[in-house]
Amino acid sequence: MKNPFAHPFAKFVLKKIFFYSVVAFVALNFIFLIPRLMPGNPIDQMIPSGTTDLGRLRLKAELEKYFGLDRPLYEQYFNFWANLLRGDLGYAVMRGYNFRPVADAVMAKLPYTLVLVIPVLFISYFLGNWIGARAAYMKGKRSEAVYFTSVFASQMPFYWFAMVLLFLLAVNFRVFPTGGTFSPRFIPSMNLASLADASRHYALPFLTLLIITTGGWATGMRSMTLYELDSGYILYARQLGFRKKKLASYAERNAILPQFTGLNINLNNLIGMTMIIEMVFAWDGLGLLALDAIRSRDYFMMLGTFLVTMIVVILGNFLVDLAYAFLDPRIRTGQGG
Amino acid sequence: MLTIILFGIIGSMLTRDPLAYSSHFAEPPNSEYLLGTGNFGEDVLAQLCAGTRNSLMIGAIAGSIAMLIALIVGGIGPYKGGLVDEISNAFTNVVMVFPMLPLLILLAAMLEQRSMFLVAALIGLTSWPWAARCIRSQVLTLKERGFIDVARMSGMKDRKIVVTEIMPNMLAYIIIVFVVSLSIAVLTEAGLSMIGLGPDPGSTVTLGSMLYWVMNSTHAALPWNLWWCFIPPGLILTIFLVAVFIMHTGMDQVFNPRLRKV
Repeated sequence: MKNPFAHPFAKFVLKKIFFYSVVAFVALNFIFLIPRLMPGNPIDQMIPSGTTDLGRLRLKAELEKYFGLDRPLYEQYFNFWANLLRGDLGYAVMRGYNFRPVADAVMAKLPYTLVLVIPVLFISYFLGNWIGARAAYMKGKRSEAVYFTSVFASQMPFYWFAMVLLFLLAVNFRVFPTGGTFSPRFIPSMNLASLADASRHYALPFLTLLIITTGGWATGMRSMTLYELDSGYILYARQLGFRKKKLASYAERNAILPQFTGLNINLNNLIGMTMIIEMVFAWDGLGLLALDAIRSRDYFMMLGTFLVTMIVVILGNFLVDLAYAFLDPRIRTGQGG
Repeated sequence: MLTIILFGIIGSMLTRDPLAYSSHFAEPPNSEYLLGTGNFGEDVLAQLCAGTRNSLMIGAIAGSIAMLIALIVGGIGPYKGGLVDEISNAFTNVVMVFPMLPLLILLAAMLEQRSMFLVAALIGLTSWPWAARCIRSQVLTLKERGFIDVARMSGMKDRKIVVTEIMPNMLAYIIIVFVVSLSIAVLTEAGLSMIGLGPDPGSTVTLGSMLYWVMNSTHAALPWNLWWCFIPPGLILTIFLVAVFIMHTGMDQVFNPRLRKV
């Protein structure tokens, strides 16, 4: 019988799994290292500022014992992994969370972030590539206009664009609410009214992210298509008298493949962008949670949000790679390449 | 044309600098205050100049740090080849997957006091993988050229080959990668500052801190319709980034002849 792992596709998947495990391992070690390496001690932050010196010392010793920081480093490291694998990320000390487990709180916010990231990722990919491919055929003024709009859109600082939209559409024309996920004093439930309310709040952050990322795809796709249109096989096909549509489909199919690898980096950027955009629009996702945690110096929460973001990004990258392997015939069939 | 834009920014930095408040609160642009004043009477134009300068400075520091790491990781690896290359490349790839902005937010949040230099260093430390990859590919192509072989055969030391043969040939490329890193750093810095994680917004004016004050509730230019407070810093950033982008595509065509016809 043939060894199933000998198939190039399986090999590819295994390689990717190995790679992302390494990345995840490094990332998780970061979570362990960062608070221990950075100046400023989380314990000091927990002690109320009015405490006397003696009280401070004793409280510090007590807290260090409580969090296991008095143990040797290797033991701390094992405890860290044990807690992590149990899904125990500590408790939220920030206001309004009442010592809720961090893992809980973060997971509750995660869908709000994903609901922004995932549609933006895919819609901008298709929209941007479509615009880019069209832009490649345009001539003269129109081509330049499209090109500069997309360059402009992709190079704009996204947070600034968010503010401009906020200013124009929410403050001046009052088309959309200025922030939040639901209107104040609105009790969300599973019905159409809350869906409508949420989508009105959703529109602005979504639009901001969409326009910025679409611009990036469009510029990339335009140059890729131009490049493919210029290559030998297209010139040959044109000499043979192929129809324009046929030519376009050949060129675009080849142009879109390299674009797909950009999806990885785009995902990474998008997660970071979404966090900041959430802060601007007070959209109730991970970014806003991270900002609240930072403002109230809640280290557990900070590390927790970071950890979950990291895992989401790594998983997302893995899925993108798998999809790529599936789309690229060279990897799928194991021939050529 | 692009250099003119860049020089325009640099030139404008040299004009004024104050952080002072005046008694002219929230005035729209007029002849005395060309870009108006903020809610506490800050001169927006002066802030803009100082902010641009500081932002570019942070960008330059961060860009240099990123370049240094990138040169070491991306330059030595492919030249030596073999295991060193494998390790450095794997390292770059691993770091590349990291979501850098959240990491940066986390690191910045952990610091109690953030000086300009510290923020710049953080940005530099987290933004080098892209530059490393660019340099790696460039070294890989250069390495195969004949004159490197000649140098090696004539018994030159590795270090001397790198310094005297490879570097001069890459200088233009290194500069463009540096400029792009710089622009990314400026963008990142403004983003960090905007959420209040940049250098102390009370004492250091950057383009990001201007946006921070706009968002911040005490100054709150946004609900007050003070558009002249936040449009200019973003516009400067945009112009700067677009210029760098066009420069970058231009240089790409020079270094990658296959793209030239496009």
